[in-house]
Amino acid sequence: MSDRPLQEPTFLLLTSLAEGPQHGYGIMTDVERMSDGRVRLRAGTLYAALDRLVTEGLVEEDREEVVEGRLRRYYRLTPHGGDRLAAEVARLQHNAALAAKRLRGRVIGGLA
Amino acid sequence: MTAAGGLEQAYRRLLRRYYPPLYLRRHEEEILGVLMAAANPEQRRPGGRESLDLLWSALKIRIRMILRGTDSQPWAAALALTGVLLPLLMLLLKLTLFLDRGARYGFGTPADLLIGAYGEPGRYAMDFRLNPYSIAVTSHVTGALTAGPVPALILAALALMGWRRAAAVFAALVPLAYLGISLASGSILVAAPRVAVTLYAYGLEALVLLAAPNAPRGWRALRWRPSALLAVATVAAGVGMNGGLWPLFHRPLTPAAFARIVNRYQLGSIPHGFIDRLFGVGLNGWGNWLLYQGTLVAVVAVALTIMLVSSPVNRRALALLVVPFALGFVIYLFSLINPPLPGPGGNALTILPLLVILLTAMALRLVPRSPASPDAPSHPATPGDV
Repeated sequence: MSDRPLQEPTFLLLTSLAEGPQHGYGIMTDVERMSDGRVRLRAGTLYAALDRLVTEGLVEEDREEVVEGRLRRYYRLTPHGGDRLAAEVARLQHNAALAAKRLRGRVIGGLA
Repeated sequence: MTAAGGLEQAYRRLLRRYYPPLYLRRHEEEILGVLMAAANPEQRRPGGRESLDLLWSALKIRIRMILRGTDSQPWAAALALTGVLLPLLMLLLKLTLFLDRGARYGFGTPADLLIGAYGEPGRYAMDFRLNPYSIAVTSHVTGALTAGPVPALILAALALMGWRRAAAVFAALVPLAYLGISLASGSILVAAPRVAVTLYAYGLEALVLLAAPNAPRGWRALRWRPSALLAVATVAAGVGMNGGLWPLFHRPLTPAAFARIVNRYQLGSIPHGFIDRLFGVGLNGWGNWLLYQGTLVAVVAVALTIMLVSSPVNRRALALLVVPFALGFVIYLFSLINPPLPGPGGNALTILPLLVILLTAMALRLVPRSPASPDAPSHPATPGDV
């Protein structure tokens, strides 16, 4: 299971929690900012994803706060979630480096 | 009401319509907060895409909950589920007999129906004419208790309505009345595994109803268990087919034809129906087996599979449902012993499991328990405007 690449929204969601615990709306705005507005998680999608990640043990509930009469529940990355994200980063870096190297080879080959 | 208040109410309605209550109990306020924070300040109604996203996400969560069973108290939920499924199953079994025998040999008089003498038209009237006070008539009373459809109907109605205590008392009284009357008239019980199954099922029903007083009541226990409902519907469809197919093969018998066949044991002389005439399949041909027993076995297998794979709660409920049938099978094995057990031994063998079940139920009734439970329905703290 851990070999399967993460979907981009999931990847961004985990990235959003990498620095520290966040609440739902915080994750939502963070993901939108990180992706330059490309990925917009709607509330339903966000909580379905959180539900799945909590079940898989990648994310857990952190604490609750009441701000302006609203309940905010914070979520954090579990150690397993951190490992999973790190593995995904390594995979993406490896793929990116490989692709960059081949592209350089192609440019030089093309000129020769 | 402010625009924001109206929007919040609209979102709350959507959430409650789509999401499972168990999930909402923990996340409703939280999701509402995010929906409201993400909403446009002038927005008055939920957007179409937002609503669609909620619907789709709720569906995913529902499926996930069914697959993994997120109940905080799976045994309590399983007991509540069994409390509804068991009476439905018993009712279905009576209906199978009724439809199957009735379609073959005629449905009999209302009195025959009451005593569960399916397939023996006029049996009650005949016995009563012979001797109104005979053991045969006493056995009709016990027959009405176990083989007849009326107690099963009453129990199913009480259980579905969620009148737990009334249903439990009724479920306990039926087998006790049966035992009392049978023992008083000197019947031997071990010879009837089917009766034993019914007695154990009633006893178990009393037990499961008393064991989980805080779980969802009556039909509500079925509400978020579409897989359990699907399994019951499958069995019902199979039962309906099983009995309902007979007229395609054979004509229903008139009482006169029935008497003729029984007197002469000429089972081959049952008049052929549409399919038999079409394919020329005889009474004992493969077609009969395939369409009666075969259909029913396949249907029950499908229902069992649905229950087994769907969720931990359903698996637990299935384990409970199997208890009366497993005990009945033990009785059946004992009934094969040759020479048979002596009367008192056979009676003790049949009665003992029932007494254990009923005493456990009574013990559960007397144990004091905490009033609150995580499975008890909770009310949201702030349902109105904030």
